[in-house]
Amino acid sequence: MTGLYDVSHRHDDSTATTGKHPVPKGQPILELRGLQKKYGAVEALKPANITFLSGEIHAIVGENGAGKSTLIKLLTGVIRRTSGEVFWCGDAVQLANPNEAISRGINAVHQEVVLCRHLTVAANMFLGDEINRNGLMRKRAMTDAAQAVLNDLGFNLPAAALLSSLTIGQQQLVATARAAMRGTQFLIFDEPTAYLTRQESAQLFRLIRRLQGEGVTIVYISHRMEEVFELADRVSVLRDGTHVGTRKIAETNDAELISMMINRTIEQIYHKETLPIGATIVETRGLSGPGFEDISLSVRAGEIVGLYGLIGAGRSEFALGLYGRQPVSSGEVFWQGNKVHIRNERVAMDLGIALAPESRRDQGLCLNLPIGMNINLPVFDRLSSGLTINRRREIENADRQINDLKIKTPTRRVLASAMSGGNQQKIVIGKWLSHGAKLFIFDEPTVGVDVGTKAEIYRLFARLLEQGAGIILISSYLPEVYELSDRLHVFRQGKLVASHTYRSASHEEVLTQAIGV
Amino acid sequence: MSVETTTETAPVPKKGMNILFGLTLLGLLLFLWLLLGVSTASFWTPNNISNLLRQGAMTAILAVGQTFVIITAGIDLSVGAVVGFSSVTVAWLLQHGVPLWPAMGITLLIGVLIGAFHAFGIVRMGLPAFIITLATLTSLRGIGLLVTNGSTISISDESFTNFSRAEFLGIPSLFWMVIVVAIPAYIFLHLSRWGRYLFAVGSNSEAARLSGVNVNRTIYLAYILSSTCAAFVGLLLASRIGIGNATQAEGWELQAIASSVIGGTSLFGAVGSVHGPLLGAFILATINNGANLLNINAFVQRIITGVLIIVIVYFDQLRRRGSR
Repeated sequence: MTGLYDVSHRHDDSTATTGKHPVPKGQPILELRGLQKKYGAVEALKPANITFLSGEIHAIVGENGAGKSTLIKLLTGVIRRTSGEVFWCGDAVQLANPNEAISRGINAVHQEVVLCRHLTVAANMFLGDEINRNGLMRKRAMTDAAQAVLNDLGFNLPAAALLSSLTIGQQQLVATARAAMRGTQFLIFDEPTAYLTRQESAQLFRLIRRLQGEGVTIVYISHRMEEVFELADRVSVLRDGTHVGTRKIAETNDAELISMMINRTIEQIYHKETLPIGATIVETRGLSGPGFEDISLSVRAGEIVGLYGLIGAGRSEFALGLYGRQPVSSGEVFWQGNKVHIRNERVAMDLGIALAPESRRDQGLCLNLPIGMNINLPVFDRLSSGLTINRRREIENADRQINDLKIKTPTRRVLASAMSGGNQQKIVIGKWLSHGAKLFIFDEPTVGVDVGTKAEIYRLFARLLEQGAGIILISSYLPEVYELSDRLHVFRQGKLVASHTYRSASHEEVLTQAIGV
Repeated sequence: MSVETTTETAPVPKKGMNILFGLTLLGLLLFLWLLLGVSTASFWTPNNISNLLRQGAMTAILAVGQTFVIITAGIDLSVGAVVGFSSVTVAWLLQHGVPLWPAMGITLLIGVLIGAFHAFGIVRMGLPAFIITLATLTSLRGIGLLVTNGSTISISDESFTNFSRAEFLGIPSLFWMVIVVAIPAYIFLHLSRWGRYLFAVGSNSEAARLSGVNVNRTIYLAYILSSTCAAFVGLLLASRIGIGNATQAEGWELQAIASSVIGGTSLFGAVGSVHGPLLGAFILATINNGANLLNINAFVQRIITGVLIIVIVYFDQLRRRGSR
């Protein structure tokens, strides 16, 4: 069982190391026996016994911090195990470094594309494995070979284009094609759809099924239950570093999986209370700017207004425009009935608008600064008396948010970069809770966040609404906006194309409006 | 990235780490002093110590200003040129009959304007800090040479030139100036919100902006402080050598950057302190001073300085990686 495409000259030796004989479908290809990883005294992964069968799609679910990343890192040779054994095609293996994993045919596609944006698609696909003649690269040959692979996979992507000219979803497909090209027998997907549009996800799923058809074993890690049920044959659940169990997908349901993951039932996740709707907080009339056109909507106290659409539909741009980050070209904004001109972020904040932006990494957090400083950033002027910051109030404020939001950290002095996605999101939210606002804009608040933390965030929404705030919730995750929004607006190509009240339209209807077919 | 990564690192409180690193540097400085005290007869003489304090003082002040800029993930290459230009400015003003205090005030004000110009180039014109400060480096030298016609202007005001030779409580007045700069700098960087904003802008300017930090104003502040520190050093230098000369302080920008980096400042921004660059500057001064006493060839001194920068910063990197 070699890889899909033996276009690369080096595959003769790589297949030589990947086992002498192919493992028949349905037989164990990779077995973990008592695999354990300890960091000092902390057990990141308690001794786990998991068997992966040749040719299956095996989903792994669990909250952030459940040990999924540790497991992937162990399998791809990024970190070394503390104890236990790993059997690959029946032989005990070390998996001591990434090269060993790759040469055996174990590969991973990560949530964030780790390729070179300034190189072409073809150059990326051949990176580290270029076709050479007399020490010179054969660019044309590589481009042609890469194009053949892309065409064959049914991707409408130019091999000669720069990677940076593609969308993140397309880049994800390139990363997958790259792995498929390299004699991969065992491919791990780590939350691949987190940043993908619906069509891109569908394309990726077709590719995954096709790889499975070719005999590749797939490990699929996701927070999204419906994807797991759509794709997987079997599913393993991790919780707090423990392998809780493995189920055949046909013999389980999402309620069971979620209770295995968090000891909580599904009804408790989407937490919606009917609250009295108050006065209008903000109203936009015909607001236009870069990436959005003629947006008229309003938010009242005590309600969640959901903005649904595909990535790039203009929702985040609208939010940035309303917040004063992007210039608005025309239209009006009324704040509690008065016409206002929001020139910059400070004006927005002073009015009472808070924005938890789309990208935690690029817009939300100062990653290499401590958690406490991130939380206090919008309120340092309030924490100062005279020239200097009041040290005690600074500490109190940070610790209060850390405790209230249950941010899992021993101290506020830990760097934000050391936290998991869910905890990082809590830091962003904590920043705005300590500042306080009348209108909270949450842009993709639950991307890369585990179910437990999601539920916490939704409960927090309810708390904010009770206090008389209004919320704009931007999400590409339909169940979330659908279940939580009092009013749901659908965006497509920069325009507001449809509006619904709570549950007044079906999922399919909303989706169709967003895609525009 | 997940919760286990938090627990695995046994996260080290940042502040304690800074103090620890400060102590390591202090230890290195004391070790150098001890070593030179043992190996040379003349190191621990009052004369040499005051000399050492004078030598280190000017680099130390430049390094503090430079650190503000580096924390915002920028760089100020112009500080050496600003020092030379300021010495010319004050000498020219005194020569043309401007009284001493207004002359010094105007010189500092020009420092403020140069810094504001740097920030303007970065914020409004979108130029990289490296380019705009490199451009002013060469232009300021040129203006200074043009004004002086390539020569020097001597300063006859004795109260001005005596200052650098004066001592207070047995400590050279130049060293007192380090303290005069360092204390407000410490309060600014470590105790005030503007200091926090410098770190935030250096870490992620977009996140800082969306959190209501006035990023542009913060950048103005950093570059103005750096240039003003440099203009101040220009005054001290003019007082010490008694002339204004546009070619003075050649290469001091590199000394300042090196001191800052030895003191633990990260060129990627968001990491730095006030005490670090001070110690860094005096470590460099001690190396030069010691090499002179040991009769080491001046050319070799430069090599030693270069090697030491690599060694110290390398160990700093190791320490950071270890704490990750």
